[in-house]
Amino acid sequence: MDTPHKIFSPARLWAIASNTLLELVRLKVFYFLLLFALLIIGSSAFMLDFKFQEQFQVLKDMSLGSMSIFSWLLAVLATAMLLPKEIEDRTLYTILAKPVPRLEYILGKLLGILALLFVSILLMSVMFVIALYIKQQAVLTDAVRGLPPEQTADVIRGVKASAFTVSLIPCVAMIYIKSALLASFTLLASTFATSSIFTIIVSFVVYFIGHVQGIARESLLASPNASALSKVFLAFVSLLFPDLRLLNLTDDVVAGNAISSAIFLKTAGLGLSYFCVYTLAAYLIFAFKEL
Amino acid sequence: MNIDPQGLNTIPAISIRNLTKVYPIPFRRERVVAVKDLSLDVLPGQVYGLLGPNGSGKSTAMKIVLGLISPTSGQTQIFGRDSSEVESREDVGFLPENPYFYKYLTGAETLHFFGKVCGLGGAKLRTKCAELLKLVGLENAASRRLGGYSKGMLQRIGLAQALVQDPRLLVLDEPTAGVDPAGSREIRDLILDFKARGITVLLCSHLLGQVQEICDRIGILYHGVLVREGKLEDLVSIENQTELILENSSPAVLEQVRALVEKSGGRVVETRKPQTTLESFFLDVTSGRRTAEEPPHVRRKE
Repeated sequence: MDTPHKIFSPARLWAIASNTLLELVRLKVFYFLLLFALLIIGSSAFMLDFKFQEQFQVLKDMSLGSMSIFSWLLAVLATAMLLPKEIEDRTLYTILAKPVPRLEYILGKLLGILALLFVSILLMSVMFVIALYIKQQAVLTDAVRGLPPEQTADVIRGVKASAFTVSLIPCVAMIYIKSALLASFTLLASTFATSSIFTIIVSFVVYFIGHVQGIARESLLASPNASALSKVFLAFVSLLFPDLRLLNLTDDVVAGNAISSAIFLKTAGLGLSYFCVYTLAAYLIFAFKEL
Repeated sequence: MNIDPQGLNTIPAISIRNLTKVYPIPFRRERVVAVKDLSLDVLPGQVYGLLGPNGSGKSTAMKIVLGLISPTSGQTQIFGRDSSEVESREDVGFLPENPYFYKYLTGAETLHFFGKVCGLGGAKLRTKCAELLKLVGLENAASRRLGGYSKGMLQRIGLAQALVQDPRLLVLDEPTAGVDPAGSREIRDLILDFKARGITVLLCSHLLGQVQEICDRIGILYHGVLVREGKLEDLVSIENQTELILENSSPAVLEQVRALVEKSGGRVVETRKPQTTLESFFLDVTSGRRTAEEPPHVRRKE
């Protein structure tokens, strides 16, 4: 080869990432967006008797909740099949027999998943915003009908304030960070798992632990009979797995609460910290793995 | 390239020194010794056949050379660079046994992808991909996805990806496994072509007839131990015998030859008609038919 080998090459990294994205696209994973579209159309159609504030709340709750679940499922299912499938198909050998460092390989795979999640969440957000806009226009048409002109400006302002809020942006960003975190954990699990199904089960269990550990901690700390051992165990679990409830801003946004920059940065920082730790751990295990 | 005809004063393409690989069995105190104190050199320009029954340690040795697994003890080098270093793989192209490349990629996309992970790009990579597709005879299947490739086509695209960064060494694990005789001969001819270009080849194969046709040197592994190693002709020739093939000789002439041999104190061990190989016979029959009529799957509707 004419050019000297680079220890880290963004071009090689992107070649692996874009190939991972292409694989998932050609596996037709984006078909799930049809299901998402049906859900938001359905949730818009069956709440015409509600007040307009409630209609917006239901639409946001349904859309953001579905976005969160779909991105979580996508993150776990798409990541879980990467390494075991590549080992089984021997494609991994062919790539690592080239001058590709294992760090680039694993980061490239993760980057491909992150790109998939980004495109998916972006498309779902576009569909959500369109649905919200259509709902807003429908509500506005009803709300200003028969009103004297001096009152319409206030009504329009009130409806618009209920529909679009700036807090939607950090909320969607947190859905992305949470799914990226779950993808990085799934990647970690797949470095020592022997099959995709085992990886999926472990990731689902961790998702469950991440959602119930906060409740367990609160009830344990409130209980006077809690043993020191159980407290240590819970502290250990809390350290290993993030409290996924803390990474959820949807409830606040649906309730109409503003999300401050400080809260967003703190929540995003927590999610990104776990993402980095899981990714590093996945690399360290993979770097010494006998293939 | 730094090759001298005698193979002396040359950095070996592959150097293996006292290589041992032991696999512990989980939850048991037993251990499996896959490779034991293996030492061998493959010199530049050679086609080296690494032979052995299943489980003899061939794949383990090959994976260590490629840096896919680490040795328990010993050292492996590729052109003087430790094979645990990623840079050493710049000089290596690898075709694993029964490779399944990404089925969703076309032949051209596959080569493009492997070129990019080797740091190539732009017009140079496009030209290289077109050259390789032509070399392995897949230029007409370049835009087809690999999911629709036959076994022989997959092996050929595998060879093409192995060559994408112009490596000086090719490591081929059972390159003709599961391929029909015609495809197998094409792959054999490609390997001979690589040899003519000065590319070193490490070949693992169970098809001993094919190994005998193309390898300069062989090593036989048995239970992880190198039991025999050397130049192929030295290992398989019978030193005190000579083969003489005659054409259009009458029985009287043959009798004279026999008498002459016996008079000089020698012995005619066997007299028989030389036979062609079954592979040659099969290829003659099928190639004749191929030119005479199109195969059924491409026959046009009238």
